[in-house]
Amino acid sequence: MLDNLNQDVSILQPSLQMTDSQVQNRIRQMKMEDPDEQTCYQKFCNLFTIEYYREYFDVTTELVIAKVVNAFNPFSGTFFDIGGGIPELYGPFWILNTLIFTIALSVNIIKYMQLQPGEHFEYQFEIVPFLAIFMYLKTLIVPMIYRVALKCVSQDRLTLLHCFTIYGYSAVVMIPISLLNSIPNPAIQWMLLVYVLFAQTSFLTSNFNQELKYLPKEKKYMIVGLVAVVQITIMILYKFYFFSSFNYQQLGLVKKRMNTHILQHILGAN
Amino acid sequence: MDYTNQKHPQNYSQMEDLKTLDLEESVSETIMRDLRMIAYKLKYVLIPKEQEDNGKELRNWDLWGPLIFCLALAMTLSFKADSTTTSSKSDVFAIIFVLIWVGAFVVTLNAQLLGGKVSFFQSVCLLGYCVFPINIEAIIIAFIGSYLPFVVKLIPVIICFAWSAYSSVGFMASLVPPHKKKLAVYPVFLFYLFLSWFSLIV
Repeated sequence: MLDNLNQDVSILQPSLQMTDSQVQNRIRQMKMEDPDEQTCYQKFCNLFTIEYYREYFDVTTELVIAKVVNAFNPFSGTFFDIGGGIPELYGPFWILNTLIFTIALSVNIIKYMQLQPGEHFEYQFEIVPFLAIFMYLKTLIVPMIYRVALKCVSQDRLTLLHCFTIYGYSAVVMIPISLLNSIPNPAIQWMLLVYVLFAQTSFLTSNFNQELKYLPKEKKYMIVGLVAVVQITIMILYKFYFFSSFNYQQLGLVKKRMNTHILQHILGAN
Repeated sequence: MDYTNQKHPQNYSQMEDLKTLDLEESVSETIMRDLRMIAYKLKYVLIPKEQEDNGKELRNWDLWGPLIFCLALAMTLSFKADSTTTSSKSDVFAIIFVLIWVGAFVVTLNAQLLGGKVSFFQSVCLLGYCVFPINIEAIIIAFIGSYLPFVVKLIPVIICFAWSAYSSVGFMASLVPPHKKKLAVYPVFLFYLFLSWFSLIV
């Protein structure tokens, strides 16, 4: 077919004859698009083109909204039935970014509400890079743990990307809860934390349960237990670092003020 | 090219005939030409009624406008930031600068991944020009913000945020296939929301 290229072109446009170099270019272009003919270099460089990643962003608005609404429901195990269970990365990525923004917002709101009457409000942004790194690492590593566990029980229907997708969408419950967390009452904050823990864990376990229905019981419970344990660990880290950090900082400030008073007292006495 | 019908050239490619005169014109003339170009594009982007040709003017993208607005915003906010707080002025400048360029990059990348067939820099140019209302809002709050209660400060913030988002949404939505429009628009919304919140809080 490639040999007849010049002939075909001249039939269609008799006035247009391609030069040899143009023919060679066209042949090279057609070879690049044919996956069997690609060189090793081209196959590797595909990783850096946008077209390679487009298949993971092949979603419509209705699909994303349906998945988000499903993620709020902790008991239905139908997440992988929506849209044919095709894994995608749009949802997890943007839910993650929204979550980082929301938590930064609510930490600053909590700090603002705790202002004493004479103090000037100091916004706190140092927490944002740490928060971002924590969230991104969590979203990268935990699905890998799930995938390894699934591989151990030789369940191959759920690939790594499926794990990324479901883990990313399970974080959507945290968005409204983080906003509500800025209410100053500690009892409400603990209740919200428990609710998030419960909702996220049961969403993940009920969906994994659906996929693992035909496995023997011990293996199933192992997977489900692993999911629950990882979630609890993350939630505890979450609560004791992010939503209490300003407490520790204030303690630090109070200590500093006390030290300066003591120092002045000593110097003044001298 | 015939310049009699145009008030001023809109990009450098229309100015080839003028290039021989560049060395002879004064510096102010050169700078004013660039500023007029930026002002023309700004009016085109921010006032939707000026768009008679459905956004085709945006093909002449340039990054001078976005750079100027980004620097202006970063300088305004770092000027206003107290040096006694835990984030110093240079931190705020760095945060805004990185945020605008990396944010524009990520939002454009998202639109391209969703299937949009637009030039990368065209989209970055548009997002940069739409930062201008947030600039206005930052200047308002920097100068008279300390005398106003919080609720009154929210009003210009919300108006400018809505203006930015509205100007860029029209363009971004036209890039992607119809069933993915909201998916491409949501990151733009998040980007301007974060910038507005930042300028309110600093």
